[in-house]
Formats: sequence, C-alpha cells, structure tokens
Amino acid sequence: MTPEVERLERLAERLRAVDPYVPPPGAKIRGWNLVLAAVEQSTTARSRVHPTRRLVLATVAAAVLLVAGAVAASADSLPDSVFYPLKGVLENTRGALTFGASDQLAYRLDLARTRLTEAQAMFARHRVDLADQALSALDDQLNDAALVIQAEKQSDPAVGAAMENRLRQAVATHDAQLAGLQGQVTNPTALNAIMQARDRAAQALQTASKPAASTGKGNGTPGASPNGSGAPNSPNPTPKH
Amino acid sequence: MRPLGKAASDDDRPLIERVRKGDQDAVRTLYERYFDRIYNYVYARLGRAEDAEDLAIDTMTRGLTRLDLFQDQGVAFSSWIYRIAHNATIDHYRRHGKVSLVSLEHAPALESADPSELAVEQLSNEDLHTAIRDLTDEQQQVLILRFFQDLTAAQVALIMGKSVGAVQALQHRALGSLERALHGRAVN
Repeated sequence: MTPEVERLERLAERLRAVDPYVPPPGAKIRGWNLVLAAVEQSTTARSRVHPTRRLVLATVAAAVLLVAGAVAASADSLPDSVFYPLKGVLENTRGALTFGASDQLAYRLDLARTRLTEAQAMFARHRVDLADQALSALDDQLNDAALVIQAEKQSDPAVGAAMENRLRQAVATHDAQLAGLQGQVTNPTALNAIMQARDRAAQALQTASKPAASTGKGNGTPGASPNGSGAPNSPNPTPKH
Repeated sequence: MRPLGKAASDDDRPLIERVRKGDQDAVRTLYERYFDRIYNYVYARLGRAEDAEDLAIDTMTRGLTRLDLFQDQGVAFSSWIYRIAHNATIDHYRRHGKVSLVSLEHAPALESADPSELAVEQLSNEDLHTAIRDLTDEQQQVLILRFFQDLTAAQVALIMGKSVGAVQALQHRALGSLERALHGRAVN
C-alpha cells in the first residue's frame, strides 16, 4: 500500500467516525405530520379515480371513439359497405328529430338524392340488385314527400303549392339523371329498374298534385304506394335491403 | 459514529405495497427508516439545519406520495429517495445559490503543503463537513453516501447512476481533493 493510499484510508476512517447530524425531535414530529397529511390527501385523490373506474372510463372512451369512427365512416358509405346499416339508423334518427312540413320535405328530398347517388354508384360497380334497392328507396322517399305536401295543402294551400314546386324540381333533376343513366347501361334488368324508378317518381308527383281527400294518407291506393307493392308508404327512410 | 437506523435496503417492497393500500403504519415505518438518513444527507450537503429540515420533509413527502412513479422506475426505494433528496438539494442550490462550487479535484497542491503532515485524527467534525462542502457536487455526494450514510459502493452506484468502478474512482479522487482542501485550511 502506497503512502498516499494509506493517508486516504486514514481519512476515510476518520470520515466514518464523524457523528451524524440528527434531526431535532420537533423537526421529526413536524415532518411526520406534514407527510401524513400529504399521504392522506394523495390517497383520497387516488381513490377518487379507482382503478376499476379508470378501466370503465377508458372502455367508455374507447367505445365512444369507436362509435364516432363508425358514424364518420358510415356517413358516406354505399349499400355494399359494412357500415351501410348504420347509415340507415342515423337517417332514421335524423328523421325522428325533423319537425314541420317544410323540414320534412327537405329531409325526404335529401334522402332521395342520396339514394340516387347510391344507385349510380352501384350501377357503376355492376351491383344491379343493390342499385335496384336504392332506386326503390328513392321512390319511397319521393312518395313520402308527396304525402307530406298533400297534408300541408290542407292546412296551408300556398305553402303546400310551394312545396309541390320543390318536389317537381327535384323529380325533374332526378329524372334527368336517371335518363342519363338509362343511356349508359345495357343490362336489361338495370334498364327495367331505371324505367320503373322514373315511372314511380312521376306517380309521386301526381300524388302530390292531387287533393288530399282523394288519396288519403297511407290508404294503400296506387298513388300512396307507387312502387307497386300495395303497402302504404313507410315512414322509415332506411333504404330497403 | 452513531448509527442512522436500519441500513437502506431492498426489503422495503412489502412496506411500499402496504403504503399503496393506504396503510398508515407502513408509511410511518418508511418515514422512521429514512427521515434521519435523508436529514443527515441534506444537512451534510447544505450545512444549515433549517434548510435540511425543510428539504428532508419535502423529500419524504414527495417520496411517499409519488410511489406510482417509483414503481415505474424499477429501482430500490432507498436509491429513489436519495435521488429525490439529491435533486431537492440541487434545486435548493439553484434557488439560493451555492456558497462554493470550486472544484479541488485538479487544484494544485500548495508548495508548502505536505499532506503526510496532516493529522486527520485531530480534525474536528466541523472541519471535515466544511471542507467536504467545498468539493464538487459529485465528490460531496460520494463521500457523504459512502462514509456518512455508510452505503456500499454498489448502493451509491445505483443512486448516482454510475458503475461501481466509476464510484470507486470518484471516491478516490474525492478523498484526495478533501485531503488537499483540509491541508490548505490547516496552512491558512
């Protein structure tokens, strides 16, 4: 062992012999009271958000995110999408929250436009069956719109006439699009579906122009069921699948 | 040297689990086990009883209320609590300024200084404490933990985040610096 190491060893031994600083009893008691209070407060705060509750909150948050994502995904979904049924649910919900004849008409025409877009997309993908369903649903919406107009004509003929004009414009737009579509497709089934859709749209327009007493709401007449099913018009905006 | 109570060890785990379940007796046991040691450590670093008291209480409060963080760090509670104390000391220095941070590690020995003439047995405790506080931060830490807290080099290594070899080398340099500092004081 070198002299330097010996000296440092002696110094280390001397350090080990130093008496430690000991806290005064008062300080220790004061410290304990403060620590205990802080620990109790911390425990209370932690218990407010129990692990089980945290798990539940996390699950709920995840579910909300999942639903929000599905809703967002369904908004523009097409009939061949897994999210499409959710789109119908959302449309029904929207319909239940729509009040007043004018808003009801706007709602029906909006859905009719959506169904037409879906039909065009399905024809483009050669899904004639789904396109046919979308066109049927389109006509259901137009027919329901016609019934809304009829009812409004009874209470306020001027407003009813204005609404009928809106329906007429919408049907004209749809008919022009359907005519264009008719010129593009060659499949006989598809052609037949388009022609039927145009006829039913025209019938819906006739329904809207008739006085309410001659048809009545949901009375099962051909005017109230232009799709030929014989069933009264369904208030359900969900497309038929 | 008066003992500072049970040596810091890894067998705090059952106590910590009880603290997490709200067992106040376990809190008390951990407090009793570490408060004196932390107070001693901080006092040796700062040299003021009032500051040491406040920082020791603050360290214990942080340590016993933030056990969730301790779990994540995966180190012994003893190492963790010393790290909190060390950080509290550094924060204190930043807020209030350190009296001296002169490194004596590479300070040239005085021409007349002959360390062999230093009678370490005759040095007072206060002389030693004062001289230690003139060392660098790491040198202070290693000497206080190794000789005042009686921790092993391995325990100090965990606290300081160094290897055992690095701690031993640091200890050697710290003792050399302390010797020179003490001799310089004796000469002056």
